[in-house]
Formats: sequence, C-alpha cells, structure tokens
Amino acid sequence: MKVKLERRAEPSQIMQYLSPLIAVGLTALTGLCMFIAMGKDPASAFYVFTVQPIENLYGVGELLIKASPLILIALGLAVGFRANVWNIGAEGQLTVGVIFSGAVALLCGSQGGFWVLPAMLIAGAFGGMVWAAIPAFLRTRFNANEILTSLMLTYVAQLWLSYLIYGPWRDPAGFNFPQSEPLASSAMFPILIEGTRLNASVLITLAAAVLTWFVLKRSFVGYQLQVAGLSEAAARYAGFSHRRAVWIGMLAGGVAAGIAGVGEIAGPLGQLFPTASPGYGFAAIIVAFLGRLQPIGIVLGGLLISLLYLSGEAAQMTLNLPSAITGLFQGVLLFFLLGADVLINYRVRMISETPVLKRVVA
Amino acid sequence: MFSMTRRNFLLSSAAGATVGFGPELKAFAQDAVLKVGVVHQGPIAENGWEAFHARAWRALEAKSGGKVKVTVLDNVQQAQDAERVFRQLASQGHQLVIGTTFSQYATLRKLAPTLPKTRFECCAGIATLANLGVYEARSYEGTYLTGIAAGKMTKSNVLGWVGAFPVPQVIYGLNAFMLGARSVNPKVACKLIWANAWSDPAKEKDAINALVAQGADVLSGSPNTPVQGLAAEEKGVWSIGSSGDFSGFVKNKQLASFELDWTSAYAEAAQGVIDGKWKAESKWRGLGPNGFVRMTTQNAALPAEVRALMAEKEKAIVEGKFHPFAGEIKDQSGKVRIAAGAKMPDAELRGIDWLVEGVQGQLPRT
Amino acid sequence: METLSAILIATLVAGTPLVFAALGELVTERSGVLNLGVEGMMLFGAVTAFAVTYTTHNLWLGVFVAAFAGAALSAVFAFLTLTLNANQVASGLALAIFGAGASAFLGKPYVGVALTHEPFEFAGWVSGIPVIGSFLVQLHPLVYLSWAMFGGVVWFLYRTRAGLVLRAVGESPTSAHSVGYPVNTVRLYAVLFGGAMAGIAGAYLAVVYTSLWTEGMTAGRGWIALALVVFATWRPERVLLGAYLFGGVTTTQLFAQGAGIPVPPEMMSALPYLATIVVLVLISRNPTLVQLNAPAPLGKLFHGEG
Repeated sequence: MKVKLERRAEPSQIMQYLSPLIAVGLTALTGLCMFIAMGKDPASAFYVFTVQPIENLYGVGELLIKASPLILIALGLAVGFRANVWNIGAEGQLTVGVIFSGAVALLCGSQGGFWVLPAMLIAGAFGGMVWAAIPAFLRTRFNANEILTSLMLTYVAQLWLSYLIYGPWRDPAGFNFPQSEPLASSAMFPILIEGTRLNASVLITLAAAVLTWFVLKRSFVGYQLQVAGLSEAAARYAGFSHRRAVWIGMLAGGVAAGIAGVGEIAGPLGQLFPTASPGYGFAAIIVAFLGRLQPIGIVLGGLLISLLYLSGEAAQMTLNLPSAITGLFQGVLLFFLLGADVLINYRVRMISETPVLKRVVA
Repeated sequence: MFSMTRRNFLLSSAAGATVGFGPELKAFAQDAVLKVGVVHQGPIAENGWEAFHARAWRALEAKSGGKVKVTVLDNVQQAQDAERVFRQLASQGHQLVIGTTFSQYATLRKLAPTLPKTRFECCAGIATLANLGVYEARSYEGTYLTGIAAGKMTKSNVLGWVGAFPVPQVIYGLNAFMLGARSVNPKVACKLIWANAWSDPAKEKDAINALVAQGADVLSGSPNTPVQGLAAEEKGVWSIGSSGDFSGFVKNKQLASFELDWTSAYAEAAQGVIDGKWKAESKWRGLGPNGFVRMTTQNAALPAEVRALMAEKEKAIVEGKFHPFAGEIKDQSGKVRIAAGAKMPDAELRGIDWLVEGVQGQLPRT
Repeated sequence: METLSAILIATLVAGTPLVFAALGELVTERSGVLNLGVEGMMLFGAVTAFAVTYTTHNLWLGVFVAAFAGAALSAVFAFLTLTLNANQVASGLALAIFGAGASAFLGKPYVGVALTHEPFEFAGWVSGIPVIGSFLVQLHPLVYLSWAMFGGVVWFLYRTRAGLVLRAVGESPTSAHSVGYPVNTVRLYAVLFGGAMAGIAGAYLAVVYTSLWTEGMTAGRGWIALALVVFATWRPERVLLGAYLFGGVTTTQLFAQGAGIPVPPEMMSALPYLATIVVLVLISRNPTLVQLNAPAPLGKLFHGEG
C-alpha cells in the first residue's frame, strides 16, 4: 500500500476553511499531550490557554490591541503575497515607521494640537513605504530577490533605531537610560474603553480590513494582482504590469507596517525604546498564511496568534510553564498549517501495489 | 517567621521612620498569604542579573514559612507586554509587585498611579511615587574595591572592560573601577569595549580576546555568564567577577569578585506589606549589613597586603567615611568634574554620562 | 604583529560558524530550495550539542549528534516543502521560529551550567612545525574541519557527477526531471546536508567556542549566513571569503573600540547587510550573470507529476 498525493482538478473550497481548523486542532492536541507529559492537568491548562487571558474586559482589550498590528501588517502583506511578492521585511518597515513618526512626535508633540497624531500617521506610513520601496525598486529595476533584500533591510532598520535611542534621541531628563522622552498626549491615540489599553488605532485596522476586502474582491486592481501572481506570462498577455504588482505588493505591506509602528509608540508604549516590536513583522507573516490571505481569515488568525502570546504569559503566571512555550506553539501551529494546506490542492490516495483499473476522476 | 529581618526592620523603624501607609493602601490581613509578583526581563539563569533576583525571591518564599507565595514571569522583553503582565499580577491579588530592571521603570511609573491598591517596587528606578518604591545597588562600591585589586596586580598597567550597553549603572561601575585602580596605581589605563548585546557569549569572548591582544591583563565588565572569565583564563590573564562570582567556572584566574544581593530588598518590602507599614522608599545601598552588594571570593594569589587594603576600604565605605566618587575627579578630557573635597551627589551619579580620566573608550553622543 | 595575529585568529574563529552554516545553505539553495530556517537549526544544534556534551563529557559526540539534530529539523522542512509542496518561505520561517522556541525550551536545564570535558590539545609535534606551528595550535580542529568541508563541497559540486546533477536540478528542475533525475530526492539530500551543517555551526558556538548555553545565543548568525550565500553569489570559495569578511567586520569593530578609534558600532554592524544588498543588486541586474550564478527558481516549488 502506498500513499500518494494526487493533484485535485480544482482547489477544494471546503479544505480552504477546514485546514486552519485542522491545524489549530492538531496544535491543541500536541499541547495537551505536552501538558500531560509535564504533569499538568490538561483541563485547567486548556482553560489557562484559551479562556483566562480574556476573562475580563482588560484582557479583551489586550487581545485586541495586540491583534491590531498583527492584522494590519498581515493585510498589507497578503496583498503582496497574492501577487507572489514576498515582503519578509515588515519588521524593518515597522521600525522605520516608528523612526519617522517618532521624529514628528518628538519635534512637534510638545506644541500640542489635533494635527500631531495625523502627522505621525502620515510620517509613519511614509517611513514604512520608503523602506519597502527599496526592495521593490531593486526587484523591478535589477531583478534582485525581494525576500533577501527586505530581510537584510530589517537588520539595518533595527540598528538605526538602536543608534538613535542610545544616541541623539535619548531623553535628556531620563538619567541617560536608553529611551526617548515620553510622547506628549497630543501624540497618543485616545483610549476607547476606560480601564483598558484599547485605543483608536484598532479602528484603523478595522478600516484597513474593510478596504482590503474591497480592493481584493471587488476591484480590478485586486484581480490584476491575483493574475499577476498566478502567471507572469498571462499577466503580460492581458496587459497587466508585473512591475506594478511588485510595487503595489511591497508598498501595501510597507505602509501597513509603518502605521502599525505608529500604533505601538502612540499606544501601549508611549515612548521610543531601542526595540519597538516583539517581532510583529514576522508573526504577521504567520497570520497572513493562517488567514489564507483573506481579510476575514486574517482577522481571525490575528486574534488567534494574539491569544497565543497572552496564553504564554498566563501559562507562566498560573501553570509555571516556561516562557519558551509561546514560540514553540507558534512554530508548531505554522507547521501543522502548512501541512494541512496540502489537502487544499492535493488529495490523499491509497494505491495498492497490484495494478487495478483506476477510475478516471472527472 | 521572619525573625531576623523583623528585628532589623524594627531597628530601622525606631530610627524615626514614620508609619506610612497612605489612605489608599489596604492594610494586610494578618493570617492571609501574601502574594508577590516578580517580572524578569530575561531568562533566569544560574548566574547573572536575573539570577540575583531569583535568589532573593526564592529566599523570601523559603524563609516565610508559607506566608509568602511568589509568582514569577521571565522573558518579558518588551515594555508593552511588561505593562500588561504587571497589571494582571496586580489584578490577580498580588499585593506586592516587583520589577527587576531599569527598562521596566518607565512602565511602572505609568502604571502605579492607576493601581493605587498595589505596592510596587522597581529595581534601578529613579524616583518614587506614593505606591512605587525603588531599590538599586551601589555596585560602584564593589567595582571600586575590585579596582584596587586590579591596579595592584596588573603588570602591563592596562585594564580592560567589556560593557553590554552604555547605561549609567555600567558607566559608574566602570568609573569606580578605574578610580579604585588609580588609587593604588596612578599609571594604569583601562580600555573599553561595548559588546552592544545583553546576551551574545561569542561576541563577549571576541571582545575579551581583542582587549587581551591589545595588552589588557585584568579584565572586568558587566558579565552575565562565565564566558568572559573563561575567555580571560584561556589567555592566561586575570578576570574580575563584577556583579557575579564565577569562581566555580573560572578556577584559577578570577582575581576578586562581588555579587548583588537583593534579599533584604525583597524581604523588607514583603515584611512591610505584611505589617501594614510599607512605604515607598528609595533604597540605594551598597556594602554592609542589609546592603545590596556583597564582596565574594578572592583569589588565593592575591597578596595579603592587597586584601588588607581592600578590607580597610570596605570598612571605610560601610562606615560612611569614604566615598569612591570623592573629588578631585577629572573626566577623559581632563576637565575637573568633582572638585577636591566634594562628593558626587546621588542624582548626578544616577545619570552619569561621562568617563573618568584613563578610560580609553567612547560613549554614544547625545 | 601580535595584534595582527590576534585579529587574524579572531576573524577565523568568528567566521567559522558562518562557513559551516553558509556552505550548507549554499548546497541547499544550489538544488533550488530556499531554507530560511537556518537560525532555528543552528540554535537546535547548539542546544543539542551542549546537552550531549554535558551528559557524556565527549565533545565530538556532541558535535556529531548536533549535526543529526540539525538534519532532523531540516527533514521536517523537507517533508513540508518537498513532499507536501508547502510554501518554502513560510516553512522556513516556521522552522526558524520553532527552532528558537524548542531550543529555549529544551535548554532550560542547561542555562548557566559549565561543560567539564577535557579541552582539546593538539599532539605535541604540531606546535613544533616551523613557522606556522604555533599559529596552528591556536585554532580548534573544527576550524580545520570547516576548511575540509569547503574543499569537500567544491569537489562535490564541480568534480562529481552527483554534484552536476544537483546543480542541474537547481538550474532547471523541469529539464532535470525530464532527463530522469530524481529532483525531490536530490533536494532532500541537499536540505538534510544544509541542516546538518547548520547544526554543526550551532554546536561550534555552544560547545567549542564558549562552552555555554544561552537562549538565542546565535544572535542572528543564521540570518547572516543566508545573506552570505547570496553575497557569495552561490560560489563556495566566495562563501569562505565572505564569512571571514563578515566575521572580520565584527572583529575589527571590537578591536577598533579597544584601540580608542571612535567607530559607531551600529554602523559597522550594518555593513554586512548593506554589502549583501549591493552584491545582490550587482549580480541580479545582468541576466547572464544571474543565469551563471543564481539557481533560477529559488523559492518556487516543483512538483514531480508535472
């Protein structure tokens, strides 16, 4: 008996929805096995991982503000991934977004005024866009692989921020700790719900989700991107520009990451530190895949990954599990997802050794 | 129970401390268990910054006879996450929440006023609030004494210092090391390398090798692991266990060492909450009883006269008769920063951003 | 002279983990597969080597098992991308994240623990070799192994039939398949080799160079190795040179600081990445150059049934 993978005539619709669920289920199963092996009660462990982080309003607020940057960046990245444009440098684009908007905040924040926050948003979006434009340019002009260029630029961006915070942007009243001045209130997003950290930046993410859905599903540009991604030749034949797809794909991710960066410093951080994000740019790639590159899926996927972060902390607090558990689960989830995805395009067939008449699949 | 610390606490209260729980802080029920929350930024190891905190809260829990239960989180690296974790500890009934590093200070400062029923303590913080106390070690007292040993034992008159990041704690430690060395050996110089990483052992080893190749024969720094001492030993030069005693690893060539000891900080804070007498204080202590700095092993090869000198200086520091940063002190450019007869005030020390004469290295420009 | 020799040795040492990891990734990429998970495999190898060496007091066993550990992790990647046709970029990232998390998890009992194996000593006659003897003994045998691996990879790729097949598979998998070469099998071996080499690279850091385990101790070297392969335009001899160049940048920065030369460390640390971008641009703009150098469909999947 042999197990064979047979390509389906058409990608299975059901499996598109089912595979993330299968992946989540398998991850949960793995987790339960691990808990039992470590001597923890699986039922209470399950509760700690799924319910405890969000059992009060503050927890829900935390889930949302952690999911917000993940979803926003994943939406931008998904635009590119569909067009076969691989922006791996979102973390760096977020960082440059932080740098540009941080500059605005530090220069103008003390003057106050309702225009400070919008100016920061524009600056942050511009920063992320510029940083994504570099790999886009190098790809369209010199055919340089955007996976590698965007990745390299991530490190350059992080070093740049570190240089600024340890150097010229250090808070003069901060006893020379490596941090900037706290941002003025005019440079901060207003809090939406009293008693939580949920701020107005989630509204931007919400708007972005709607916008992305519209662009991808309903607009011609979205269609072009999809075709350009599926076949460069077909796209060229139809008159769609592959170069344009690269630019749009990269810049969408860059702008999203830049704005997400503004959301962090004008939100839960409230000032600039040598590192701005706990790896949102990379986690967003997982979210994009988990969400099947669709806006609704991305929103759900973002909430799930956000929950995983919070679960890890709850597990440390309540179950005494080590902090490494979060990265472990994220990796396992992605593995299972990639594995389950195969069922979308391929069918598992058992073939017996003796030759039999094979039914022709219509 | 806490007999030892209780007595010490009562003694220090008798010295005139006022009863200090403000109208907001709830009195602590005598028969309940005190839940204490501690948040580490990095992973907890056997040695190093996080380990010292771990020893303190383990001692607290062990000696409390069941009256104290500690919840610990480690590897909370980003400020956004730290804020949430602190808040959740507070909301889950932890009456005392302790931060362990300077990078949590900004977060706790923001958070403490919004959680008036919880007491907070932050290591290496600067100013207190009504319900936020700060505690920090005068590690420069330890580095000064090890500097004496280094100054006496160096043959090349070149010392070396591998720093992680140029933050004030590290800078004043380095400066005191230099001052201690120069107090016994005016010709000595110190080369400085910033590794620019909290945890990259290979790079730290490279830095040690670079310093040794450039003539340094006593190495110090802000090590969190034994890698620096081991690297120095490989090259046959001395190392100082600065804020960490690695003599278990570095069998032959660790010259002197000191450790940080937060036991009394944790114990006093917890006892204060239990007694209902906790108040926000700024504890900046060095050597001495209930202090946060403890001199530890010294190498057998250290001559008796050097040991005597170190012990003498230690006694003078503890009795308040000697301050490592007493004038006249010049900076790298030769400018006099502390006049003769004056001492550097605490506030200036906390935020120091210049290097003393004799240090060959840079700080980032502001 | 003494300083120069110290710089040279420091550069060789700093470059060695890069040589191992990059040579492995080079072979993988030459077969047409992009494995972004090098960092995760290095960390996994590092923790495995440490655990084994700690328990058995045998350094070589630790390194050996680390190679297997790296290969085992890469086998998961191979299964996902070659058998299940999953996206290579996402799979590689998953590997990196998982490797980091798993190594931190498994390494918990070993943090702050010291290795107590016998340090390696060269036989007495080695230091007696004229001129270079005293220099030779300052480098650990793994450094020499890295040179041997370099020689092996060059010989394999350019002097053996198997190497030719591998290169053909990387240049054009469809043509190779039509000629009858087992594309996926070749790629599997290439991926496993890459994993093993990354494991050895991690082992070198944890067990040979520092004798310590710390979470995340590779500190981004896996990503540098990825950059290095591109910087070297997929040629082994340039990998060797590039590894020492990149290692040299760090070494120079440290020595410069010690000498009092004001070098902004962030600037120097950024150089390898910027240099890689420049090289990538230079080789990519000329289609002939690209054809000569880069394995064409890097990152794209290949399915045997066609």
